[in-house]
Amino acid sequence: MADTTMGSAGSRPTLFLRNATGLVKAWSTFDAFVYSFWSVNLITLGLYGMSYAYTVPDGQVLAAILLFGVLCTFLVVTYAMLVSVMPRTGGDYAWQSRVLGGGLGFVLSMTGWWFTLFLWAPIYANILVVQFFSPLAYTLGWTGVATFFTSQTGIFVSCLIVLAFVSIVVTMGMETYARIQKICFWIGIGGLVVVCGLLLFASPQDFQNAFNREATSLFGAPANAYQGTIDAASKTFTGSNFGSLAFGPLLLLLPWLAFYLLWPNWGATLYGEVRGAKDIRKPFWSMFWGLWVTVALVAFVVILINKTIGWNFYQSANAAYWNNLFAVQGAVAPPVPIWPYPVMFAGFLVNNHLFQALLIIVMGLWFFGWAGTLFLSSTRVIFAAAFDRVLPSWAANISAKRRVPYGALVLMIVPSIVISAIYAYKPDFTSVFLDATAVLALTFLATVVAAVVLPWRRKDLYDASPVARYKVAGVPLITVVGVITGLFLLFMLYEWSFNGDNLYGTSLQKTPNSVIYFVATYVVAVVIYVVAFYVRRRQGIDLNRIHHEIPVE
Amino acid sequence: MPRIFFATDLHGSEMCWRKFLNAAKFYEAEILICGGDMTGKAMIPIVEENGHYTVTIAADRQVVSADQVGDIENQIRRKGYYPLHVTPERLQELDEDAEKRKETFQQIMLDGVRRWMNMASEKLRGSGVRIFVCPGNDDEMEVDDVVRESDMVELGEGQVVEIEGFKMISTGWSNHTPWNTHREETEEKLRERIEAMARNVSDFSHAIFNLHCPPYRSGLDEAPAIDADLKLLHGGRALRPVGSTAVRQMIDKHQPLLSLHGHIHESKGAVKLGKTLAINPGSAYEEGILMAAVINLDAKKGIKSYQLVNG
Repeated sequence: MADTTMGSAGSRPTLFLRNATGLVKAWSTFDAFVYSFWSVNLITLGLYGMSYAYTVPDGQVLAAILLFGVLCTFLVVTYAMLVSVMPRTGGDYAWQSRVLGGGLGFVLSMTGWWFTLFLWAPIYANILVVQFFSPLAYTLGWTGVATFFTSQTGIFVSCLIVLAFVSIVVTMGMETYARIQKICFWIGIGGLVVVCGLLLFASPQDFQNAFNREATSLFGAPANAYQGTIDAASKTFTGSNFGSLAFGPLLLLLPWLAFYLLWPNWGATLYGEVRGAKDIRKPFWSMFWGLWVTVALVAFVVILINKTIGWNFYQSANAAYWNNLFAVQGAVAPPVPIWPYPVMFAGFLVNNHLFQALLIIVMGLWFFGWAGTLFLSSTRVIFAAAFDRVLPSWAANISAKRRVPYGALVLMIVPSIVISAIYAYKPDFTSVFLDATAVLALTFLATVVAAVVLPWRRKDLYDASPVARYKVAGVPLITVVGVITGLFLLFMLYEWSFNGDNLYGTSLQKTPNSVIYFVATYVVAVVIYVVAFYVRRRQGIDLNRIHHEIPVE
Repeated sequence: MPRIFFATDLHGSEMCWRKFLNAAKFYEAEILICGGDMTGKAMIPIVEENGHYTVTIAADRQVVSADQVGDIENQIRRKGYYPLHVTPERLQELDEDAEKRKETFQQIMLDGVRRWMNMASEKLRGSGVRIFVCPGNDDEMEVDDVVRESDMVELGEGQVVEIEGFKMISTGWSNHTPWNTHREETEEKLRERIEAMARNVSDFSHAIFNLHCPPYRSGLDEAPAIDADLKLLHGGRALRPVGSTAVRQMIDKHQPLLSLHGHIHESKGAVKLGKTLAINPGSAYEEGILMAAVINLDAKKGIKSYQLVNG
């Protein structure tokens, strides 16, 4: 049944296609863009991550964001090319194990996508508290609720809420959640337009007046809390100048920006399920636009913050909040005891608490449209390892009725509850959570190394792929972009690990808890692989054989 | 005890077929099973004109000389397509006449299957290896006759075969798909088809169901959601179960030792459905990777071990 003629070179047909299963039309780049856009979430992750930029007072955030966008584009190209060569469910795990070897691939990817994702649950929970529960409760006058969510138990409850939400999303399935994401996307964008409009049309004096009014009204702060915040910060913070263009501090901002801008490839673990992913244009453009639309919007929001809120005030508020929370020597409590949420600040410009609460709720959709994907990629990586028989087969089991991947969920949820309890009740372990970005970056680095050597390690596979024709001075493009991405990641890993001032709170010398935790995760991953290797060998299964290519001739 | 090597949905990829045949030696398997959908989905014209050849592969137009045509053909076959040598006049004729296209496609496809059967004979005759092929819903009915002609490959469709103490039933028929392919039928008819074979099996603890279509809601049947226009929804990430309820009912009812499936390339996996181990090894034929399952059977234990591989 040959019934379709496709393509043309001039006026000639270039392909005769018969009717066959799976011949579908392309997926919408916009739909894939939405997923990528959520992963580099400008509000939820972005504002939270940027609140640490005060630690580099001379760093020009706008220039750093643009530089990060350029460098991260190489990461996007690298991942898009890998997807095109090997569209595999499991993403990093599949690529690393097939190119670098099963054992190495398992250890490097599992520490990132499995063990480190435990740490993200409490991070998500903390974001939920500072961007949703706490500002909403204060705005509605529920001071007790707001105070509860800043307590240790409140943080732990928030962790449980996040984990419950994530489990429900995984149970609902991606089709339902994709619909929810789209609704959250459009309403959230509407909320962002309102926030930007308020900041755009208000003057700095309007904001100062509004801030002082609400600081007293909602938080009982003394008069002129605006200046009071700057004064409180001045005990531990020298102030920040938006116009500074020093190159060194600009580079030091990159690891902070990685907290939210490093994830346009978050969905790459799912591309094995996406027909048409071999066409590099689809994964590339969806990730590219996810990254660059966010970069553009962040730049716009930063300009508006500088214009209306005042850069020095915003950074002072961040410094006062975090330094007081981390008990930095000399730090004093700011007059407004809440995380400086620019959305809330914009809401202050309208003297109506109901409107302010509504704005926080609407912008909260940026959280709920995004947080559901927390464990989605992890479950796929666990599936891939279970199918390879490295993990027990029950890890990939799905319930018959509701199609819930209960095995993978148990492997994610149970440790996450334990880690969440540690986060909530053991403040000494804070540095471990600050390392969450770095360990995922290390996982990406291993994938990038796999990409660099792919044209030689899996020559047949690479040569047969659509990306083999792209070269720079005779060198495969995937190798060139991989090397640039690798250098970018190595720079950030170096700063996270060895920054002399412990700028990111993750320097190895000063955070023994982090070192112990992460060394332990790598050891556990090695032990799991070694045990699996010998157990499977007794069953007649050679794990080394999984990825060995069968000779063609 | 027999070691089975099961692969499926090769869709015309000659590289995968060659690997499939070599898997017997590579994995020391006595039984090779190809689970269906072995024929390609497209043919690519190689246009001969003024002493050179023009071909477009994956949007890349190439003009090559006669001594390069062999390489081009291999590239095309590797992707699971069929090379079609034509003159510009013949190309225009095929472009304008759907009936002639259909005839040409069938001829070139059956020639391809014949070529594969010959390869199997050359490679494995006298080796003691048994090869089973069960055409799938994408394979035209005429494919069965070509397989029957083979002196090496056994046709599985509709048969109950004995494999060293285990009985295997096979069908490549599926429930209805949006593509209206060659071997589709209602769930009721599919259930009758499977039940008719199952009646000839007395001990299901030693039975293998080689059914191209995966069981419904098993996790082996999750395909990207599409709309009525066959357009992928939600960036291709939304998945729906599209397996057969008839296959699921037959597995639930008879609880065979092992069930082997394909059809949904993206839904690689191995799950337990009661006492049955159900496997869909997935397919990556376009990259020339042979995704497969190696299963070690044991007369007492049933399934001693299994492994999904990417050869």
